Amino acid sequence: MQVLKTQGLSKVYGAKGGVAYHALDQIDLSVDKGEFVGIMGPSGSGKTTLLNLLATIDKPTSGTLEIGGTNPVSLSERDIALFRRRELGFVFQDFNLLDTLPIKENIILPLVLEGAKPAVIEQKLRSIAELLGIQGILGKRTYEVSGGQKQRAAIARAIIHEPSLLLADELTGNLDSKSAKDVMNALQDLNERLSATVLLVTHDPFSASYCKRVLFIKDGKLFSEIRRGVNRQAFFQQILDALSVLGGNFDDIPFARA
Amino acid sequence: MTFRSLALSNVRGNWRAYSAFILSSVFSVLIFYLYAAFLLHPDVQSGEIKGALQVKQGMLACEFLIIIFSFFFVLYSNSAFMKTRKKEFGLFTLFGMTRGQIRKMVLYESAFIAAVSIAAGIGLGMLFSKLFFLALGALLDGGETIRFAAPPAALWMTAAGFFALFMIITLLTLFRVGRSEIVELLREARKPKPEPSLSVWAAVVGFLTLGGGYALAMTMNARSFLLLTLPVVGLTVVGTYFLYAQGSVAILRLLMRRKRFYYDRTNMLSVSQLVYKMKDNARLLFVITVMSAVVLSASGTVYVLQQLQKSQILDHAPFAIGFVERGEGAHQVIDPAEVTRIARDDGLHITREQKLSGLLGERIAKDDAAAINSPLEAMIVSESDYNREAKLLGRKTAAPAGDEAVLILPYQEMESYRPIQNGAIRLALGTDTVKLQLTDQYAGAVTSPVSFATYVLVVDDASFAQLSASAPSGSRLVSYGYEWSNWEHSEDTVSKIEKEIDPAFKSQAQTYRVPSYVSTNQSISLTLFIGLFISLLFFIAMGSLIYFKLFTELQDDQAQFKALSRIGMTAAEIRRIVVTQVGLVFLIPCVVGSVHALFAIQALGNLLGSPILKYAAVVFGIYLAMQAAYFAVTCATYLRSIRSGGRTATE
Repeated sequence: MQVLKTQGLSKVYGAKGGVAYHALDQIDLSVDKGEFVGIMGPSGSGKTTLLNLLATIDKPTSGTLEIGGTNPVSLSERDIALFRRRELGFVFQDFNLLDTLPIKENIILPLVLEGAKPAVIEQKLRSIAELLGIQGILGKRTYEVSGGQKQRAAIARAIIHEPSLLLADELTGNLDSKSAKDVMNALQDLNERLSATVLLVTHDPFSASYCKRVLFIKDGKLFSEIRRGVNRQAFFQQILDALSVLGGNFDDIPFARA
Repeated sequence: MTFRSLALSNVRGNWRAYSAFILSSVFSVLIFYLYAAFLLHPDVQSGEIKGALQVKQGMLACEFLIIIFSFFFVLYSNSAFMKTRKKEFGLFTLFGMTRGQIRKMVLYESAFIAAVSIAAGIGLGMLFSKLFFLALGALLDGGETIRFAAPPAALWMTAAGFFALFMIITLLTLFRVGRSEIVELLREARKPKPEPSLSVWAAVVGFLTLGGGYALAMTMNARSFLLLTLPVVGLTVVGTYFLYAQGSVAILRLLMRRKRFYYDRTNMLSVSQLVYKMKDNARLLFVITVMSAVVLSASGTVYVLQQLQKSQILDHAPFAIGFVERGEGAHQVIDPAEVTRIARDDGLHITREQKLSGLLGERIAKDDAAAINSPLEAMIVSESDYNREAKLLGRKTAAPAGDEAVLILPYQEMESYRPIQNGAIRLALGTDTVKLQLTDQYAGAVTSPVSFATYVLVVDDASFAQLSASAPSGSRLVSYGYEWSNWEHSEDTVSKIEKEIDPAFKSQAQTYRVPSYVSTNQSISLTLFIGLFISLLFFIAMGSLIYFKLFTELQDDQAQFKALSRIGMTAAEIRRIVVTQVGLVFLIPCVVGSVHALFAIQALGNLLGSPILKYAAVVFGIYLAMQAAYFAVTCATYLRSIRSGGRTATE
């Protein structure tokens, strides 16, 4: 079953009068349920634009987008917000957890906003916290826990309402290598055990090596695609090779992690 | 870029945060100038405007009040600004700006803001001064017109005074800038806020002190007033502080524990953020509450006292003109026909003429008393006559039977006063002695309470007829009373009538109602008019403190709402959260302050022995309505900033 499908998705900036800049050009993308897809590309390749379009916080210039069978572009502003809330889960580089709430309440926020019953909320929280290994920090405040724990809490928040698609944006960008590993393992567990569909945008090959399939984009176009075999280490090497073919600027990330 | 233009663009960049502060400053300058322009008006100085004496003192006091208030207001606002700009100063220092240069920049900024506030304030002041003079002239004695004038002394005084005030405060705040290390300055903004701590004891102490203060206020009476005032004020002030610092946290924590409520959609966000907002702003909310309470209590008290004075005049003088005469048709005081003629000649429509016949009962005393020479005398009237008049005036009716009598005291505040004890009494009617049973006494004159008619003794119709038959003509009394429409403006008529009254019998006539009503009314309007501007100034300043506080937190909130809208919070939900939070921060001090003032006014009511809450409600209602309007404006501006901030951030 297809969860995400785009056809000819394009985004053009500054067309009026000035020189048009094609941030995204004719992207055809299809993600099935339970997939773990990575999107990689050098700085300025259009990764973030693509993610914003998929996250429905930006609108495409042309092309179609379908998430879980719905085209969010046709919805009203309010319905788009509700669509984001129900169908999508987000994990950001800078966590975006609210300082005013303890970890537990940060996680259950999507359910609370939907008006779920307290009993249901507690039960879902318990199972997701157990899966991500964060039972011990539920009562803590955001500034009392480590970056890796924060990001796992953010993942819990993104998945607790069982969205059709989980979008992650450079989720290990602010973490040290140990925490990054923990977080990626947790995400992989989620993908495998709950068969959650995950789309990860990154320029970190280590994070990307956890995916089952990695797409590369360059200058706003899909460039190539590689699939993972059994061995993650081998896949990591494959990604590095692909990146060297791709070219572009990857200097800003540490390579010595894997 | 010159230094001056840097300072200027700093102000422009912080415009939203500065605007409320500048608005209040402009308003202070405006009011200060208006009062100064009147006080230094050439006609007032030369003594040409006679009524000016009535208000000069009050206005001068207000001028001092404005200066003192402005000093603290600007001081607080300035140091708060400096605190929010620590990071900015850190950056400037990092780029190599010296401490001296930063000070110079801040000085330029303040000078610029001072210049803008003063220019705008004086400009608006000159624009409105004619209007102010017109209103004031109409309220003053004689309704003089005050010509437009912009006395140079007033201009000079206002401009120099406020400029000096701004500069002194800036120099004061400058001492505090640039003491810390750059790293600390830069880090200032990013410190995570620790979770507000809750001390149950402090919260309980808060509630207890507040409750104790209220309870004491309620039990206060004339005797305990001096003893209790200070403890009441002290307990309330302390209680208010604890209420914000701890009580608010305690209440919100309780709400958080109620999952059914707390987990209901946006409640979780509203409540959890409120905990921080209340605690962080506890001191500000406390100050505003106390200020609200003071302003409300003071203006409420003034208003209430004056309203009471008005209703007291009506109570003490049930008729516009009234007099009592000995003997029927004698007309020693004034001929009733003369009164009606003068009133009619002045075009007044007489709505009521009272002619109440009675007998003069003298030397009223307890029957068993030895002393014969009691000074107490009363006008004896029949039950049916009394009840007819009482019904017309809305007073209590009486029902004596047989030899029973009811004594009517003239004024409402005498309700619990007893000139004589109930029981067997005797009185002299001419040369006879009459014995009666006094069964009841209460207050409420049905005829002008002067001379013989100050007290009224109501007896059964049959006993009245019997007494009347044997009474000599010298003991017969007739009380006249006149009421006409538009009596509030009939001073001329009343003084004409007064001139016709035989000076020897002046004490038998009551003519003071109209003149004293008119002068009370005038002093009310003058006090309210002058006080109005001061209350308005306080009010605007309070609002702008909250406004400013909200906008310093705006950046954090923007980031938070941006994150929330990314995970799918709708605009409507964000609006609901903002309205709840801003609304509570705005309305809570206002409501708590009103409750304080309500207790103060109620205590005053207890002291005065009159129900005065209905008068105070007028003042409170106006205040609450104004706060609500301020809240609406702030909320709209705030939402717009949140939305625009969110938009630029997502692009």
